[in-house]
Amino acid sequence: MNRLWSSLRLAFSALMRRKARASLTALGILIGIAAVVVVTALGTGARERIGSQIESLGSNLLFVFSQPVAKSGARGRPGAEMALTDRDAAAIHRDASAVSAVTVYSEVKAQVVSEYDNAKIGVMGVDKYYYPVRGFSVDDGRMWTDSEEQTKAKVCLIGQTAIDKLFGNVDPVGRYLRIGRHPFRVIGTLKAKGQSPFEDQDDRILMPIGSWRARVSPTLGDRVMLIMASAKTAARTGQAKRQIEGIVRQRHHIAEGDEDDFKVRTQEQFKKSHDAVFNILTALLVSVAGIALFVGGVGVMNIMLVSVTERTREIGIRMAIGAKRHDIQLQFLVESIALTLFGGLAGIALAVGLIVLIHRTVGWTMRLSPEAVIVALVTSVLVGLVFGFLPARRAARLDPIDALRHE
Amino acid sequence: MSDRPLIDIEQVGKDYLSGPEVVHALAGVDLAVHSGEFVAIVGASGSGKSTLMNILGCLDRPTRGTYRLAGVDVTRRTADARAIVRNRLIGFVFQGFNLLPRTTALENVELPLVYRGVSARQRRRQARHALEQVGLAERAGHTPAQLSGGQQQRVAIARALVTQPPVLLADEPTGNLDTRTSHEVLALLQNLVRESGITIALVTHEADIAACASRTVTMRDGRIERDEPNREPRDAAAWAAMPHGAVDAAMLSGPGP
Repeated sequence: MNRLWSSLRLAFSALMRRKARASLTALGILIGIAAVVVVTALGTGARERIGSQIESLGSNLLFVFSQPVAKSGARGRPGAEMALTDRDAAAIHRDASAVSAVTVYSEVKAQVVSEYDNAKIGVMGVDKYYYPVRGFSVDDGRMWTDSEEQTKAKVCLIGQTAIDKLFGNVDPVGRYLRIGRHPFRVIGTLKAKGQSPFEDQDDRILMPIGSWRARVSPTLGDRVMLIMASAKTAARTGQAKRQIEGIVRQRHHIAEGDEDDFKVRTQEQFKKSHDAVFNILTALLVSVAGIALFVGGVGVMNIMLVSVTERTREIGIRMAIGAKRHDIQLQFLVESIALTLFGGLAGIALAVGLIVLIHRTVGWTMRLSPEAVIVALVTSVLVGLVFGFLPARRAARLDPIDALRHE
Repeated sequence: MSDRPLIDIEQVGKDYLSGPEVVHALAGVDLAVHSGEFVAIVGASGSGKSTLMNILGCLDRPTRGTYRLAGVDVTRRTADARAIVRNRLIGFVFQGFNLLPRTTALENVELPLVYRGVSARQRRRQARHALEQVGLAERAGHTPAQLSGGQQQRVAIARALVTQPPVLLADEPTGNLDTRTSHEVLALLQNLVRESGITIALVTHEADIAACASRTVTMRDGRIERDEPNREPRDAAAWAAMPHGAVDAAMLSGPGP
């Protein structure tokens, strides 16, 4: 302990004697460590954000969407790619035992006009199950009634972003907006839900699917873009998926071995594919940053070799008065580790500064985990150990007589 | 003076490869030095005196023969074992002083104790004592660059003494010093032999320096040519006290080699 402490003091004073050189060498490590930490923070932050966005879609969700089978080069008539219907949704609701709720969904981007402003907003036709399945709820005003749904009433609910676009600070409940030729009465507002991986979930207008088909997009008949189902529990998601696939294949008369004209994906699959993308991206960026760190390490080795050569005489003196090989080796190893650790600490400080700066200016979510900091510190020590080893060994293997004669 | 010699080398030889040729730097040397002796090793350059000194100091290993130091055979020890022997039994004084630059006198003197694992406080105490012994206690905080040559060599002697070794090896210790300072340093060494009974082996090519020792060993072509006691060693303190001109005059008329 005593010996380690004096080695540390010795290393520190040796580095202090050549401040400029030590700082420049540490700069290489500093940049490498800072790059690794910032990139890791970016990757972790992005993954967490996507993860929570997928969570925010709802719980145990399954998405059923059309997947046109390319039978020939010719494209079908418009709308042919929408193979799913209301009746498919009803069948799933009736027959799939692992499914607790089913909802349908169709959307068009439409020009929406209020008495104050106009904007292109996603207008969606949904049924009342959409709310529990996707986790939407009414903030102000009310939900539409069953009779309004049956009579295709011209009513709608509006999300927070859409309110900002169309009404500003004015309370929209009770006011009218126009989509195409038809005026719709705003009967309620939606609680804010934030970003999903695909869209701003608050930039939307919801109305009964019947009203949507009759007044917003009358050409689609009973076809829907998307059926969403909620599994009863997370554990039964797989079972729900198989049941849905079975039901829809039967309804669409798809023979054994034929390609499906639809696809079922679970929320978990979305999450996994997003995680995979971010893992690859993070790994790629970390390896680029790792190259910077490696170059920094080579710089440390270079400087340590120069230092050993310059101090050959000092090494000879130390050996003559009783320094053993490992004393000399330890001295130079501690010196290179002190150098890289200093670079690493400064690199972490720089990274923290950069993360705060990027967050404030660009607004990216970044997450600096304590694990990343510990890994960065351990890495900088390891870089010192690995790249200091060769110079230290060279110093320790000097012959005391030759070293003493060295000018 | 005990019966067993402190330094005991028998038939020691050392060969070097110089290109394709083998050079016999030492060709069978026998030497026994007893505790409390002050031996001067003299000889022309290439006579093997530096090689002998390196072997005596456990910096080098002989090719042939045996070397016993304080009764222990140290002939064929590993590098680390020899480092321990150097640290425990030997103090070195070099021609070029070999102090660590930009390091205070006190820290330089402490250095051998660092490798012995002595605590910082104990090191400081012993190092101060050693600096007092060489009369440099008030210069403890100076770095070598702030000291004169004679002072630097006295710091080096303090560093050699701080571990209280039985043997002090001095390789041309006055080679970089003027005549007066040389005699001051020699007076210090003579005093150490008298007061603390340390054993000194000193390599020099100057006859008047050798004259201060109690025994002179003359080397030639890797062998000991002459080995004779010096019945009336010169008192270096008296020489150092003389006025400058008188020293030079006395040296010119003094006993020849």
